[in-house]
Amino acid sequence: MKIFLHDHISFVLLYLFNMLFLFIFYRNLGGFETLENVYYFIFLSSFLLGVFLLYRYFSNKRLYDMLTKMPSKFEDTLSSAGTTPISVGVNKLLRAQYNLYQEQIQMYKRKQAEHLTFINQWVHQMKTPISVIHLILQENEGEPYVENIRQELERISRGLNMALNMARLTSFEHDFTVETVLLHSIAIEVVNEQKRYFIRKKVYPEVRIDSNMTVKSDKKWLKFIVEQLLVNAIKYTEGENKKVIVSAYDSEKGKVLEVKDRGVGIPKQDIRRVFEPFYTGENGRKFGESTGMGLYLVSEVCKKLGHQIEIESKPGEGTCVRIIFTG
Amino acid sequence: MEYKIMLVEDDASIAKLLSSHIEKYGYKPIIVNDFDRILDIFIEENPHLVLLDINLPKYDGFYWCRKIRQISKIPIIMISARDSEMDQVMGIESGADDYITKPFYYDVVIAKIKSQLRRCYGDFAPGVSEERRIELEGLTLYPERPELHFNNNSTVLTKKEAVLAETLMRMSPRAVSRDVIMEKLWDDQAFIDENTLNVNVARLRKKLQEVGIDDALETVRGYGYRLNVTWRK
Repeated sequence: MKIFLHDHISFVLLYLFNMLFLFIFYRNLGGFETLENVYYFIFLSSFLLGVFLLYRYFSNKRLYDMLTKMPSKFEDTLSSAGTTPISVGVNKLLRAQYNLYQEQIQMYKRKQAEHLTFINQWVHQMKTPISVIHLILQENEGEPYVENIRQELERISRGLNMALNMARLTSFEHDFTVETVLLHSIAIEVVNEQKRYFIRKKVYPEVRIDSNMTVKSDKKWLKFIVEQLLVNAIKYTEGENKKVIVSAYDSEKGKVLEVKDRGVGIPKQDIRRVFEPFYTGENGRKFGESTGMGLYLVSEVCKKLGHQIEIESKPGEGTCVRIIFTG
Repeated sequence: MEYKIMLVEDDASIAKLLSSHIEKYGYKPIIVNDFDRILDIFIEENPHLVLLDINLPKYDGFYWCRKIRQISKIPIIMISARDSEMDQVMGIESGADDYITKPFYYDVVIAKIKSQLRRCYGDFAPGVSEERRIELEGLTLYPERPELHFNNNSTVLTKKEAVLAETLMRMSPRAVSRDVIMEKLWDDQAFIDENTLNVNVARLRKKLQEVGIDDALETVRGYGYRLNVTWRK
């Protein structure tokens, strides 16, 4: 309605001005005989104006509705705006724009899919040389350099897995199944996968989870979450014989899985930004082995699985990350 | 009896390493180089077991697995870098008996080959009937009992002590780093720490004394431990 009034105010003014002008002109020429004629003149003109405006309004109502109510979906722009020339024109314009955008989106979708396939293939290809090095190391077991190479090999593997998961995250919708998962067995599995890392950093795990405790989640992604949290906990623990504690318990908000370390902690100014992508903060600069992606990916996965994530940390005392399985 | 194991792996390095390792265990490896004729080679060679990669040129491992299954029931073990559940399920559904993900350990491959052969052809795979024994200058360890024998003395070890003794004996006279030992001692259910290692080393020293060996287990500062052969006359 507002747009309609704005749109037509100039018409109305022109009309009124025109009427006034003719009125004075006629009057001066002595065209009006009685006062009634004057009223009649005014009434007829206003009536015609009103009818015209009503006609305009109703014939273009759909267009005005569309203009006031902005579309929330891309497809909404395609609904018909009416049959008047201006409506048809607007529809044509929108449709053309829609097609242009669709073309671009399709192109990007295709590129994204290509990229995803590439990353997938590439990571799997890289696993072959890793396997070869792995085998050679096994044959040279006991040589002093073997352990060093093995450590670096593990770093490469961790990086590759991260890349793979990052790529998978974009197609998350096709890649997860919610089932009942035993928290204890997931924690044990991940801890055992990281045993070399634990031993090398002289950090030791402790799993305090009831062996019957289950949650509804996707096993693969939950493992990914726990793995990232554990790797972080190990990475940022300095000094020897400190523990990383993986525990689970019930709280009023739901079941909670907690990974707690006695590491360096996160500085106050960094903690609010740890879930941002590529954000490494002070610890990232100090420890050097940070991509800034770990916690971002974890929080994204949590979001998609519908789990909450909380982080709490005190510099010098340690960090505690909680995954809350609500509902 | 010598078992023939057909190796279908398109990466030449892995194929070579794996085949030479398989050979060490007394099996006869057959490396496939022509990936268009996998089925023909299978029929010609008539192997006892197939190790099959999934990523192969032209047709993948699933395809060949189904092809082989149409004519034979022999054990097929898939080895692949694809570690997703989906791929493992597909592997088994195509008729594979087991699935190993890359990177893999030789020991795991050998153990799975042994178990498949045992299941398929009875109990006469090499090395199965014989008890494992590690010897070092008259000191003998039976890791499966587990017992330590020297001269006419013997003592019973715990599982962890046996693992520790085996590692040190195999590597002697070289030193073994703490990290390597801890990795071997690591238990999948109850994780170990530095303390566990120290305790087990102390206990093994005592057990060595019991069989009449003193001061053989040396601490290498800042590195690990070494077993010196001090009992040789």
